Amino acid sequence: MRTISKCISIVSIAIAASLGAAQADDDPIGDRQAIMSSVGAAAGLGGGLMKGEIAYSPAAGKAAIAAMRAASLTFGDYFPDGSNASDTEAAPAIWDNRAGFDAEIAKFAAATGTAMEAAGRAGPADLDAFKAAMGPVFGTCKSCHEGFRVKN
Amino acid sequence: MKKLLLFVIVLGAAAALAGWFLSAPTRLDENTVANLGPGDPVNGELVFWASGCSSCHAAPEAKGDDKLKLGGGLRLETPFGVFVAPNVSQDPNDGIGNWSVADLANAMTHGTSPDGQNYYPAFPYASYARMDLADINDLFSFMKTLPAVGGDAGPNELAFPFNIRRGVGLWKRMFLDPAPVVAAPVGGEDVDPAIWERGRYLVEGPGHCGECHTPRDFVGGLILSDWLGGAPAATGEGRVPNITPVSGGFGSWSASDIAYYLESGFTPDYDSVGGEMVPVQENMARLQASDREAIGVYLKAIPAVSGAAQ
Ligand code: HEC
Ligand code: HEC
Ligand code: HEC
Repeated sequence: MRTISKCISIVSIAIAASLGAAQADDDPIGDRQAIMSSVGAAAGLGGGLMKGEIAYSPAAGKAAIAAMRAASLTFGDYFPDGSNASDTEAAPAIWDNRAGFDAEIAKFAAATGTAMEAAGRAGPADLDAFKAAMGPVFGTCKSCHEGFRVKN
Repeated sequence: MKKLLLFVIVLGAAAALAGWFLSAPTRLDENTVANLGPGDPVNGELVFWASGCSSCHAAPEAKGDDKLKLGGGLRLETPFGVFVAPNVSQDPNDGIGNWSVADLANAMTHGTSPDGQNYYPAFPYASYARMDLADINDLFSFMKTLPAVGGDAGPNELAFPFNIRRGVGLWKRMFLDPAPVVAAPVGGEDVDPAIWERGRYLVEGPGHCGECHTPRDFVGGLILSDWLGGAPAATGEGRVPNITPVSGGFGSWSASDIAYYLESGFTPDYDSVGGEMVPVQENMARLQASDREAIGVYLKAIPAVSGAAQ
């Protein structure tokens, strides 16, 4: 039950995230935080599968990877100049060192791209295949958070 | 009138003299160090990661084996000026290749250099002072296996009066105290005291967690009543979070949530570790699982700091 509801919420968040990119952008901070929170939820699903807290199924594995994929393709669009003023944990370094931030986005997108290919249509066949596909995606979180995200 | 002036001068001289003696660097008793025997480099490596020496003394953002090249160079920007982490590799000229274990122990527990100068507490010896000499001995034998790296990292950039090393002696009198910060487990009756004490040792000693997670007063001393209660980040951006068991905050983390975070870098709601905590987490991931658990047990049974510190 937990698996199914979590999958559904993840997929819907992922769709919301990818739709967001096409819409007019009057709240970039809220939008990017929503995208990152879908990333957190997908990581929660992935981590739960890896730890065995949630029974593995290829569809669940695919849901986690697809949500990551959508986020990695859209997230970078929500950092216009001046969107570092209020209620954000985005570090000033994003605007001071845009090239460095873009490189982290590129790493994130490359990792999710490879994971999508490995997942195939049906999703990674078993837990080991899932770990191999998702592991590198998990590795990109902290390298971006290290330099470009602060806690308030 | 003259008498009064004389009195003032004598008093001033006495104060200066007292200050001079009070600021004198202290050292370990020589016999204590002499009896240590050969160290164990295998445990020494664990001590090395637990203490995070490479976070400051390896090149900034070094990964993998480069973390073992301790050529220094990290610039620590503080309200007192810039401290530059020196070369502590095995190079005999630029590093500490000629040091004895007593030299290292004096530096780490008394903040005193081989030629009797005071170190600045940007080198977190106020925490390392709580370490067992046996661990420092093991650390020394591990550091002996690390490569020599040539080159001087350059001097600190400090303004008067902070550039006077002697003055640090007074700071040490006030803040250098090897006694534990938290005397006994708080709150939980079912806490295993041996595990809690292991956690306390790791957090208060080698892990020097308090150096970032505890707020400081105007002379840079830790405010122990707000121990681990969170602080403005020394880098000037954002905050270092409160990691005491406050309700509505970090108190919702279980001991195994804390251990999992230190192992994987993920919080219970799958946010990812960031900022200056990344190298700390990566070091903690190298320790034994029981040590990460012990840290979790300790952090669940210390005084909760709420309000102002957050
Ligand atoms: C390219 C950089 C980057 C990558 C990669 C990245 N993040 Fe983030 N993340 C950020 C930034 C920036 C914020 C802060 C956004 C803000 O507050 O405006 C953030 C915020 C978050 C948040 C808080 C969202 C909220 O509710 O406000 C979570 C959870 C999170 N990240 C999880 C993850 C996880 C898990 C991964 C890896 C799978 C990851 N992030 C990868 C940059 C990144
Ligand atoms: C938070 C950063 C930081 C950490 C962590 C740190 N150091 Fe240092 N260390 C410094 C700074 C800064 C100095 C210079 C202090 C001064 O100028 O008085 C220093 C000085 C030293 C010195 C004196 C070098 C000399 O040439 O006199 C030694 C030895 C040393 N550190 C070893 C270590 C070891 C071993 C560890 C791990 C157990 C460690 N340090 C962890 C910042 C750090
Ligand atoms: C160099 C400074 C520094 C040191 C030393 C340090 N921390 Fe941290 N810690 C931070 C920062 C900064 C964060 C916020 C991380 C982020 O932005 O994701 C943090 C976050 C944390 C968190 C997550 C809290 C939360 O609410 O998300 C825990 C748990 C933690 N630290 C435990 C420790 C422990 C245990 C130690 C000692 C072994 C330690 N820290 C040493 C700087 C430090």
